Amino acid sequence: MGVPVSQAWAVTSYVLKQKLARRQKYPLVLMLEPLFRCNLACSGCGKIQYPSQIIKKNMPLEKALEAVDECGAPMVSIAGGEPLMYPHIHELVEGLEKRGKYIYLCTNAILLKDTLQKGAFTPSKYLSFSVHMDGLREAHDESVCRDGVYDQAVEGIKEAVARGFRVTTNTTLFDNAAPLQVREFFDEMMDLDIEGMMISPGYSYAKAPNKEHFLRKERTNNLFSDILSNKKKEWKFNQSPLFLQFLMGKHDYECTPWGNPLYNMFGWQRPCYLLQEGYAETFKELIEETAWENYGRSSGNEKCADCLVHCGYEATAVNETFGSVRGIWNTALTTVTGKL
Amino acid sequence: MTEEKSLQGWTPELGGEVTLERIIDLAFDYRGNTTIVKTDGSEIVGYIFNRNREAPEPFIQVIDEEGNGPYTLVYADIATIKFTGRDTAAGKSWQAWVDRKQREKDGLAREAAGHGADSTSDTGPGSVD
Repeated sequence: MGVPVSQAWAVTSYVLKQKLARRQKYPLVLMLEPLFRCNLACSGCGKIQYPSQIIKKNMPLEKALEAVDECGAPMVSIAGGEPLMYPHIHELVEGLEKRGKYIYLCTNAILLKDTLQKGAFTPSKYLSFSVHMDGLREAHDESVCRDGVYDQAVEGIKEAVARGFRVTTNTTLFDNAAPLQVREFFDEMMDLDIEGMMISPGYSYAKAPNKEHFLRKERTNNLFSDILSNKKKEWKFNQSPLFLQFLMGKHDYECTPWGNPLYNMFGWQRPCYLLQEGYAETFKELIEETAWENYGRSSGNEKCADCLVHCGYEATAVNETFGSVRGIWNTALTTVTGKL
Repeated sequence: MTEEKSLQGWTPELGGEVTLERIIDLAFDYRGNTTIVKTDGSEIVGYIFNRNREAPEPFIQVIDEEGNGPYTLVYADIATIKFTGRDTAAGKSWQAWVDRKQREKDGLAREAAGHGADSTSDTGPGSVD
């Protein structure tokens, strides 16, 4: 398992508290986008295509921390845009650490080595750099639409690992992914001595200009089965084993769209991280006034039909772990044996 | 390769299937600034980041081109919306990147084969421009 015990315990106790309180809709990971600016322009990303007055904006630090307090999730994923370009990133990380939040700072790592060499950030159990890596050199550079980025990211990872930081990778797999190359990529990432990897299929959300190359459900299951069957023991994943089994088609889950709520400078995005159908002013309004019955595969909403993305289904997998004896047993078994 | 269509430059005229609600939905999905023409004749130029058609009084929210706002406008006060700003999503497809990479590879392959710049045939994916 790629998740440290302290973090696993924090999440476990949080989920159990929600269950004891009989809270039906609770968040697991707050997705926080304090800016939309990025030093890359990946074609699969619909997050950075805004007019200049929006791209120039930074979320005030106080607003970011207010959102964290309002949401209450035990983990915060700082995304964007490129978070290392956010002028208040150090204060934000400090503020989150003071609150005992586990942080995934999602970065393309182009600026990571320089940032760390300047003495920014202090290693802690709370902070993990989650480096965007979509495959081996050629595949990754193609995915981010710029040559040389893979090598820069590897340099950043090495620097962070050498300085004692927690480092994970996050990988989106497209329909052109070759299973053998992905397995080779996993070997290469684990050789960098990272803590664990996170993987997810892409999704054809309406505003992403790369619709043709995102995955359909069946193909997704087949692809992840090919990749994860006979999983090597050295591969560590920083995510729920039940979610990985779900990607392989071993479980049939329903989406938990409120599990990873997104807050950005527009507000709380409805209904989820991927679909952008409007904004709520408060987290309470998001939870109480969103027509959740219109989302997820069983709703018949065609936008949700082929989605298997982590932001909707990992929370379901975690809930399944603590929701039944079978869930606990499956999770324990895969954790101990390392087999999916 | 599929041609990407953009609404950039469109000044919709209300009528038939082109309802105000439809224009607002399209403007909400548009990744550029628009010009919102109000029923009193005044205009606001900016990015529409939110719309709520289920609210008792349906509304949109806008950040103007100076970055000020958000400003809230109810549907009843909107006459039409013009797609005046640059569509920041247009022409940035993954396919365009793949095609460009393929052209580069094809060019290198031709050079290696000794044809170089003399080649007049261009049948690769890059020839769609």
